[in-house]
Formats: sequence, structure tokens, C-alpha cells
Amino acid sequence: MGGAVEEMKWMRGPSASIRGALLGLVLERPGHSYDLGNRLVTRLGETWRISQPDVYRLLRQMEDSGVVQSSEEPKRAGLRGTHAVYFPTELTEDAVARWMETLVPMAPVRVGLQAKLAVARKQDAPRLLSALKQYERECLELLLSTPATPEGTPSWKALFMDCTREAVDGQLKQEIAWAKHTRKRIREYAAAE
Amino acid sequence: MALTPPLLAFEDVSKTYVDGIRDVVVLDRVSFEIHAGVFVGILGERRSGKSTLLRVAAGIEAPTTGTVRFEGVNLASMSSVRREQLLRHDVALMSVQDWSPNPNESVIDYVALSLGSYGSSLRDARYRARRVLARVGMSSRADDPARSLSLVEQARVVLARTLVREPSLLLVDEPAAMPSLSERDEFCALLRSLAAEQNITLVVASEEMTPLHGAGVLMSIGDGELCSTDEQASVVQLPRRRAAGAERG
Repeated sequence: MGGAVEEMKWMRGPSASIRGALLGLVLERPGHSYDLGNRLVTRLGETWRISQPDVYRLLRQMEDSGVVQSSEEPKRAGLRGTHAVYFPTELTEDAVARWMETLVPMAPVRVGLQAKLAVARKQDAPRLLSALKQYERECLELLLSTPATPEGTPSWKALFMDCTREAVDGQLKQEIAWAKHTRKRIREYAAAE
Repeated sequence: MALTPPLLAFEDVSKTYVDGIRDVVVLDRVSFEIHAGVFVGILGERRSGKSTLLRVAAGIEAPTTGTVRFEGVNLASMSSVRREQLLRHDVALMSVQDWSPNPNESVIDYVALSLGSYGSSLRDARYRARRVLARVGMSSRADDPARSLSLVEQARVVLARTLVREPSLLLVDEPAAMPSLSERDEFCALLRSLAAEQNITLVVASEEMTPLHGAGVLMSIGDGELCSTDEQASVVQLPRRRAAGAERG
């Protein structure tokens, strides 16, 4: 029982979703951290804002938990040196299956703006309006950068990518609606005063 | 060297409707520019003002205040001849739900007769209609009664009826209203590819992102405001002294 708890440690914390997705990618095809990071962004879109050092750190953590293992492999033809390529272990498939069943933790992308709103003063209203507008523009840019589902023969992979894209689109649309509505409320309150 | 004016420009445009005793502000001092060749997406919920914005852009409705310019010329100061030319040729507003064939009208005539008598004989209009029906994949139904078409086929014919006028600016209102997701995706891909092929500036308004993927500029509309990925597009942000929708006194 203790072993099972130990095995599930990698699933805890705010980066659990990224770790789970990385694990799924390793299971699909082994890769080095840069390759896995690129594949992650292609699948999830830019909203996840994950950096390469983060991908590397998360892979190392999962290696400590035994759900992936790395091996130093030569870089592709024409490049010198080696790099760590991550492979699945005998635990990986079961770990991914369990992760698929777990509830998704709520992680609002607007948390920074909510913190500002929570402590804002009356004189901060113009700055908040500007920050909200900037945030809305950022969400629109992220919507534009979300990769479209490739056209062609229908496949399970294309279906799942499309569902992911719709989820990202939906979240960003909600953020845009929230930013617009909040700006309207601030403006109306200021005008009525 | 003179700079080319934007194809379409909104300058401080407001549009207000009267709803009972209240003024409803649909567009609130909106400014933006659309340049030729750029695909622009407008994202907004139902009743967010998308359709109003498109109707004002097409010159079908006049703004309450502010100026709308097409190729640098104020729509309000255009001669009646130029304005008619604009509405019949240069700018096209299309909704896939615009389906109103006469009883017993054939598909080809539904497309051809939209050209009216504007510089085109019936024979020429039918020739042009047949060509454009081929481009939207409806050649095989050209001589069938229009009333026999499915919803997806109707949408393709509505697109043909719009493209046969060879507009330079195509405004599309909610192309996502299709019976299935695959049909929606196919129609949106067709719309984008035909606009690109014919060098038409495309503006698509939708509550879904799918028809807007691939846009060069994305705008969101709601509560009278517009926000854009294009920095030049802007709205006045300062709090107003009079609240939107205030009761008329």
C-alpha cells in the first residue's frame, strides 16, 4: 500500500497536469526534454506557458518517482555529444491510466489579476482597466496561437487534439468575457459616483 | 508616395438602439482599421453586437455617431451611385441563414439573379453563377430546384451567391451554424480558401473560435466594446459620466 502511495507522489502539486501529459508523451514515444517540451506545446497550445527548464525539472522528478527512466543517447546525426532521452518504465502505463482517472485541479490563469482586484483602491481603477484590457488582448493572442486541428483523414489523435483545442478555446473565451464584464462594472461604478 | 488608406475604418463609431424607454448602446465609440488582404475574426457571444457591427460596416445601417470609411471615403458622404455600387459589388454581407429562393427557382438562377441587371445579362450572369457554383462544389446541383437542397448545400449556395458579385470585402455573420461539426469545419475551410484564392478581405464574426482560426487579427466584442490583437484598434477606456443604457429623460 505504502508503495502505491509512493508511486502516486508525482501526481501531487500544481504541475500534476503537465507531469501527466509528459508521461503520456513518453509512453507514446520516448524523447529528450526539448523534444517532449515541443510536443507538449504543439498538443496543448501556448496557454500552458511551460519553459524548457520546467520540462527538464519535471522529468527529473518523475524519474525519481520511477515512472520514467532516462538514458544518455547520442544526439542526432551531425551533432556532437549526448543527451538524456526519457523512456517509459514498467510503472508508466499504469501511472498514466491512474492519472486519466483523477480529478483536474482548478487553476485559473487570471490569478494574478484577481490578486490585484482583491487589494485595489479607488484610485487604482484606471490602472486596473488598462491591465484588464491588456489581459483580454493577451487572451485573444493566445486564441490565435492555439494550433488548429490538422485537416485530413479523421483519427483518434486528431479527435483528442481537437477536444483539447476546444477546451483551451473555451477557457480563453471565458477569460475574455470575464475581463470585459469586469471592465464594464468598474466603468459603470466610476461613472455613477 | 501616397499611403493606401485602410479598406475599412471605424472612427469613434457608436450605435444605439431604443428598447422601450431605454437606449441600448451596442457599439460604444469603437475605432479600428481593416487593411486589404487581412483575415479578421470577430469573437462575441450572442447579442454582443457582432451582427450590428457587420451591418454598419456593410453600410446597411448608419452609425448613430462616428464615421465609417471604405477605402478612405466616408460612407455618409458618398454619392448615391457610389453607395449603390458599394452595396452591390464591393462589400458583401453574408449569413448562411440568408436563404430565400423563390418557389420553383433553380439553384443556378438563385445565384445568377442576385447579380440583377447590374452590368450583367442573364446569360452572362448564369455563366458566372455556374463557374462559382463549381468552386463551392455545387456544380452537380446547379439545375436542381433550390428548395431541394440540404442545409449544408444551402450554405454553399449562399456563399456562391455572395462570391458571384466578386466583392473586395466579405463580411460573414456566424458561419458556424451547421448541423454537424465536420460540416462546419469543411464549410469554414472552404470559406477561407476561396477568400484567399480570390484575394478577398475576409471578416468573420462568430461565437465560436473554429471559423476564426487562421485569422491575422482577432477582435472580441461585447458590452459595446471592442478589443483587438491589432494595437491600432482601440476604444476609449475612460469612465463615462453617463452610464450605458441610462434611462432617457
